[in-house]
Amino acid sequence: MKATRRDLFKFAAGGAAGLALTPMPWRLVTDTALWSENWPGIPRPARGEIRTRFTHCALCPAGCPVKARCVGDQPVSLRGLAGRPLCAFGLTGHHLPYHANRVSRGDPEGAAQAVRAALSRRGANESVAVLDLRPGRTASWTYRRAMGALPGGLYLAAQSGLPAIDLRAAKTILSFGVPVLDGWGTPANVLAARAQFRLIEAEAVESHTAMLADEWLPLREGSQDALASGIRHILTAGAAGIPSGEAAERSGLPEATIVAVAQELARGDAVVLAREETDAVTELNRMLGGRAIVRRREAPAPFHWTRTAAPVTRFDAVPDQSIRALLIDESVSDGYFPWDAVERKLAPEATVVVFASSRAGYGAHAGFVLPAAVYPEIADDIPAAIDSTAATFRLAVPLVEAPATVVNPTRFVAELAGVDAGDALRERANAIEQSGRGTVLSYTDSRSTPLRDIKADAFWKILHEGGCWEDEARDQSPGEPRASAPAVVAMTWEMRMARGPLSPLVTKLYQESNLRVRT
Amino acid sequence: MTHRGALLFWAGMLAALGAGWAGFPRLIYRRQPQPVAFSHKIHAENAGMKCEDCHEVRTDGTFAGIPRLEKCASCHSAAMGTTAAEKQFIDRYVTPQREVQWAVYARQPENVYFSHAAHVKLAHLECSSCHRDHGQADTLRLYEEDRISGYSRDIWRDMKMDDCVACHRQRGIENSCLDCHK
Amino acid sequence: MKAKQYGMTIDIDRCTGCGACMVACAVENNVPPVPEGANDRKGITWIRVFPINNGAEWPGRQSAFVPVLCQQCGEHTPCVSVCPQQAVQVDPATGIVGQMPERCLGCRYCMAACPYHARYFNWWDPSWPAGMEKALNPDVAPRMRGVVEKCNFCHGRWHAAKQRAAARGQQEIDPADYVPACVEACPTGAIEFGDLNDSQSTVARTAGEDHSFRLLEKLGTDPKIHYRSKRDWVRRVAAAPGKEEAHG
Repeated sequence: MKATRRDLFKFAAGGAAGLALTPMPWRLVTDTALWSENWPGIPRPARGEIRTRFTHCALCPAGCPVKARCVGDQPVSLRGLAGRPLCAFGLTGHHLPYHANRVSRGDPEGAAQAVRAALSRRGANESVAVLDLRPGRTASWTYRRAMGALPGGLYLAAQSGLPAIDLRAAKTILSFGVPVLDGWGTPANVLAARAQFRLIEAEAVESHTAMLADEWLPLREGSQDALASGIRHILTAGAAGIPSGEAAERSGLPEATIVAVAQELARGDAVVLAREETDAVTELNRMLGGRAIVRRREAPAPFHWTRTAAPVTRFDAVPDQSIRALLIDESVSDGYFPWDAVERKLAPEATVVVFASSRAGYGAHAGFVLPAAVYPEIADDIPAAIDSTAATFRLAVPLVEAPATVVNPTRFVAELAGVDAGDALRERANAIEQSGRGTVLSYTDSRSTPLRDIKADAFWKILHEGGCWEDEARDQSPGEPRASAPAVVAMTWEMRMARGPLSPLVTKLYQESNLRVRT
Repeated sequence: MTHRGALLFWAGMLAALGAGWAGFPRLIYRRQPQPVAFSHKIHAENAGMKCEDCHEVRTDGTFAGIPRLEKCASCHSAAMGTTAAEKQFIDRYVTPQREVQWAVYARQPENVYFSHAAHVKLAHLECSSCHRDHGQADTLRLYEEDRISGYSRDIWRDMKMDDCVACHRQRGIENSCLDCHK
Repeated sequence: MKAKQYGMTIDIDRCTGCGACMVACAVENNVPPVPEGANDRKGITWIRVFPINNGAEWPGRQSAFVPVLCQQCGEHTPCVSVCPQQAVQVDPATGIVGQMPERCLGCRYCMAACPYHARYFNWWDPSWPAGMEKALNPDVAPRMRGVVEKCNFCHGRWHAAKQRAAARGQQEIDPADYVPACVEACPTGAIEFGDLNDSQSTVARTAGEDHSFRLLEKLGTDPKIHYRSKRDWVRRVAAAPGKEEAHG
């Protein structure tokens, strides 16, 4: 008999009924659900024992202590210590080695060759320079020693020789756009001292600091000097500065407001902060003579370093078109020179080498971009923050190994100059230990011990296992308000978000909410 | 239905039952041998070890799970017995310091959270109440992995969510979803 | 063991709008970033800080920041009552409204029901730059696309605290062990967390104080997040139905 379609249907019906009595359909449904939970789009976190390691956050000079929870060698979460939580950038530090804009490859041999060739071509009036965007580190000493050893070597620093700001000695702070309450200085200290000073924020936009300040002066963009000058006029009873009427017109503020601010500053213990240090601001600070600007001793350094180191040269002291080879350490940056300011100083056909971990910076303008390690891969010390009245020594301890292609900027520069930089951090720690001053705070047991009572090896161990050194506080001699430096822009949140390195989670602050606006 | 129709129907059903019960498991599960022929029996009896010597609850409450190579190597840096399996283990794993990629029967989806500390230290359950005689067995059970979902066929002898819930209900322990999910 | 009612008090007068809580929450809970070009409505911000102001122009202008997260409503939780999958549940032992993404089928009914807009949908599978998935937190499972997620008061930390107590043979956790990420990250201590049933805890004491209020109280959701501010205009803005503008 021929098989018909009806036969097929009957067979299939039996088959379907039978299948329903087997585990197969249920298994397949469960399996597809389970598979979809684990398909390649879903990452799986690492498994394993969690160990705690300590380091310091190297993203800004606050250098907050970090307690890292690690699975094996991989940090899976970063936390601050009690009372000193990490900021949005610090919390995502462990993402940075994988950030999307990472420079991964470079040509160190080509760069070294090019710099040596430039050195041999160097004219009598030309120089080779290192631009250090985070001065005050032990690495900065290495750069200075290297430039001291090279003929025509110059060490340039952003914001060199800053005096410190003692917040506890300030009753009034007039800030021209400085984000005092938004990541400036050491945020934990700023907040602790907040109740003791009145903050007047003079800024064209309503920044977070302007929103939180005691008073906001919405002055016109670019009229900082006019306001500073107008205040000086009132304080000197007309001897200097511009009349307050003119200041009011140029800044867009009511004259009465300017007078009131001047009167408040005159009451004493006032300090003026500005993002761009101009003469007008410096003069105002000099006049106010507040106790808040103090000189800070640097952490001790080995004597033979100080003898061979090149001096710190101010950027504007460099003649135009005189730099034959420029090496920029952008691996960590606390300040920012606009590129055109830099370009002006370069000789025609100058060689520029940039050490960076992020492509969004000077890399676009450099002949050679060499990949640098990024926090938490780096081994470096963190200079004291601007509001730290005593010197500090704390180490960013590497939590993760940097990729093999990474170039160490200090080693590169030191090799060029024939200077031995191998154990610079250890030598620095030894020099500090020999000075015997200050105290060592250890995080694992929250103990504070005078340095005198600690030997060199133990000191080195504490620095690596979670601890820092702080110089002794002493009567601070008043510091000079810093002389003007051209167009050095202190890092703000917006700048950090623009230049990176950045974890993608920080987008929650601007792209996924209206909390911050990305410029 | 005709005689012939009924026959076809039952034939279809039989074929499906056979395929579903006998053929399907063979297709859907992939057999995977364990990388090392480990014997719990030898370690428990000859070496006199207890479960928690290798599978301990740490002080922070986390569970050590299957021990890592350093635990095994702390005793087996040199051969302690005469078996070929041990020699192979030392040659392939201890000497080159390679972690053993054990096939884990109990591996649950990522969103499942199980706390050994709560069951062992608070409820004082014996290891054998869930793991039965695994700790006394001379060989490791055959590991069969579902080709689609990637999980083991017998997650602890069908220790799926229903079984956990059944035991909890039996002992009168209330739980909310987030107690066991993460 | 007495049932707990975990809650928070958020002091708006102390919030600086730094956003550390937003990022800390995302890091702790493996919340993925959204792709470039997505707007704030597609973002996942279990806690989100809104800038608000009194509407006046300078010199009368005043501003503040309000962190908004799942308000952990009381018994009559809007989201629980509408979920067809029972993927969200109020835990009677802790008072936490627990969202289970693994049960969710993605209908987003709960997102419509939540008056605080505190629930977020995974429009995409989590996408991290290459290698960054190694840095994820092992205590919280990443979610696939198509499910809703929200604040669970850092249940990963709740598990860790319970585990630690269990290792000591104790049922009760040490309150110092259970601190949600946003509470820990806040530099001014504006967010405080604790058991509202524990009369000794800070949140229980300050929750009922003079300057405290809750969002959209008239709806009867009985939230466990209490806000505080000495400024009248803040309370006015927070209570206003025009909160939509503040959402952006």
